[in-house]
Amino acid sequence: MTSTLNRRGFLQTTAAATLGAGLLPGIARAQGEPLGVALIVPSPFGDVGWSHALAAALEPIKAEYGDRIKVTKLENIPEGPDADRIMNKAVADGNKFLIAGSFGYQNGAMQVARRNPDVSVLHASGFMVAPNFTPFAARNYQGTYLMGMAAAAVSKTGKLGSVSAFAIPELVSSINAFVLGAQAVNPDVEVSVVWVNSWFDPAKEQEAARALLSQGCDVIYSNAQDTPSVVSVCEEAGAYVFNLNSSMVKYAPTKYLGCVATDWTPFFLQSIKAHLDGSFEGHTAYLGLAEGVIKPMDWNADIPADVMTRITETQAQLADGSFHVFTGPIARQDGREAVAEGAALGDEDIVAMDWHVAGVTTPLPN
Amino acid sequence: MRLGGFRLARRDRASRKLAVVAPIAALLLSIALNLALYVAMGRNPVAVFHAMLIEPVTSWSSFSEVLLKMTPLLLIAQGLAIGFRAKVINIGAEGQFILGAIFASAIPVWFPQVTGAWVWPSMIALGGIGGMLWAIVPAIWRVRLNASEILVTLMMSLIAAQLLNFLLVGPWKDPMGFNFPQSVIFPLDATLPLLFPGTRVNVALAIALIWSVVCWFHIQRSFQGYQLIVGGLAPQAAGYAGYSQSRAIWMSLLIGGLAAGLAGAAEVAGPVGQLQRSIASGYGYSAIIVAYLGGLHPVGIVFSSLLIAILYIGGDNAMVSAGLPIAAVRVFQGSLLVCYLAAITLVRFRLIREPGGLRA
Repeated sequence: MTSTLNRRGFLQTTAAATLGAGLLPGIARAQGEPLGVALIVPSPFGDVGWSHALAAALEPIKAEYGDRIKVTKLENIPEGPDADRIMNKAVADGNKFLIAGSFGYQNGAMQVARRNPDVSVLHASGFMVAPNFTPFAARNYQGTYLMGMAAAAVSKTGKLGSVSAFAIPELVSSINAFVLGAQAVNPDVEVSVVWVNSWFDPAKEQEAARALLSQGCDVIYSNAQDTPSVVSVCEEAGAYVFNLNSSMVKYAPTKYLGCVATDWTPFFLQSIKAHLDGSFEGHTAYLGLAEGVIKPMDWNADIPADVMTRITETQAQLADGSFHVFTGPIARQDGREAVAEGAALGDEDIVAMDWHVAGVTTPLPN
Repeated sequence: MRLGGFRLARRDRASRKLAVVAPIAALLLSIALNLALYVAMGRNPVAVFHAMLIEPVTSWSSFSEVLLKMTPLLLIAQGLAIGFRAKVINIGAEGQFILGAIFASAIPVWFPQVTGAWVWPSMIALGGIGGMLWAIVPAIWRVRLNASEILVTLMMSLIAAQLLNFLLVGPWKDPMGFNFPQSVIFPLDATLPLLFPGTRVNVALAIALIWSVVCWFHIQRSFQGYQLIVGGLAPQAAGYAGYSQSRAIWMSLLIGGLAAGLAGAAEVAGPVGQLQRSIASGYGYSAIIVAYLGGLHPVGIVFSSLLIAILYIGGDNAMVSAGLPIAAVRVFQGSLLVCYLAAITLVRFRLIREPGGLRA
């Protein structure tokens, strides 16, 4: 992590320069003009998934602010030179609040923030911070821990699987939490992971789900996939399935284990308020059950009542902070100790997680 | 060819006036059709029209992006057109583009701390070599085994995309990149110098324009260009004249591969600044359209690459400024090509009513 920051030091320097200039975002805004909010995402908004959740979160805000806010939604923008241009164009058009909905927009969005101190930027899943640039991420691991408990309770084979997008820390930590949750119910579960290296590739996702099912997995975790492909394949095959971001229960009416939904509305609302009153300040926003951003829902009725009671209790403990998912002892895949007995991982270790816990059978690509 | 009660007959002599009027009529027709569509969608047609076609050429920041977008299209299309005129149909420029990008990236990936003024020119040169190497395979298959270069070049593009994937999830992945399939960010000396400060237009545009002049000389003034054209128009006449067909195939594919490789190198060393999967965004395929829109003529291609670039940038602008969904943008781009092709057909052919055709 440290070496990363060194290597990208030029951006930090520029961020510091912006701070030194003492420019306050939002102050110079013309009175009476609506605030332009632009959302840019890499996949189609569709009916479900990551991009859908981001877009849906703006609806209640539109309802609350009415004419005082104007939302521009830009979907299906590939991460690269086109995204950089489109973000610049959105800002040139007068949008003062930019939500960059993918890790891959990081460099371009940071440049926009640097050149336009009066623009506030929220960036998904990144690690860079500037006075007008806030990276945000959901503590999905809190929700996947609960799903792991449910998965272990309904699994007959003791084999669980995950179809996952990219082997980045955000996804690795949510898989690890899934495994730890499952082990809390059945210490012998095994978890296999297939990395499809895409956020949005229905054909590949289906293929990966079928491969896991044929290996005997009977609960599948669709990890950061922006299509319901994995969910509908599992319904057909009679395996339980759950996913992140938004509910896909209509694609698996009988086998839907539940959803680790994300509700970005409270966070977006708070950030837009801060921008409007000039108090927006770049910080790392890592949001979970406590902030109401992570919302587990649509639990399957097949989950045994005693396990469901435990899940509800654990959820309350995670929300009030009396329990932490990554509490030791936790062993790595190769048997080495990852977290000592009684210790708990800090946020800085969770957001940089590049190892699997014991119980994951597939190696982590490196 | 029969169309209902009509038949297409080749005109004895294509009308010069029509050749100029037809593309303009096609442009106007597709604009009218699409404005009607936007009205039906409840959008403000004036705002869409302005964002899509006026703003890209009147605002310098948008026009500089047009020039940036035009650069790879121009480079590749000029190279492809040489082959197309000789009837060597290389549709695998996308793969040659990817190989160019990979070869150019080798320097900054292997030597991430590299500095020196020689770095970017070497990357561009390596890119050209990479594109040519990828085009050697279909050339050998065509010359030695008589395998269709259309199929082989297309399939080589699929292989190139997989090679790129392999490098990015494997050996060339940025060790500090949080496991994302992308290379290290290139150091400053491994990126192209900018032509106009404050924009992203880089020296690749100058290279593309010089390349266009070279292509013009090649077709208009060189014996070799003449041989290639004769080989395309009348293969048997070329054979009697002693022009080697296999030489024409080699030349066509190598020049096409070189141009696409240069463009790939310019893309990673230019606006992208690292090797990533999104570089394979279809320039190689769009350039085929550009080449034919430009009438396979070096001067025409300069204009057609500019037009297609304006449509891309204008489409993105319309999405941001006029709230047009991306699908409607694609419909406009597609309908323009359809109208143009219909217009061009009517320049070369005329419709004749078949006797009794109406009954059929």
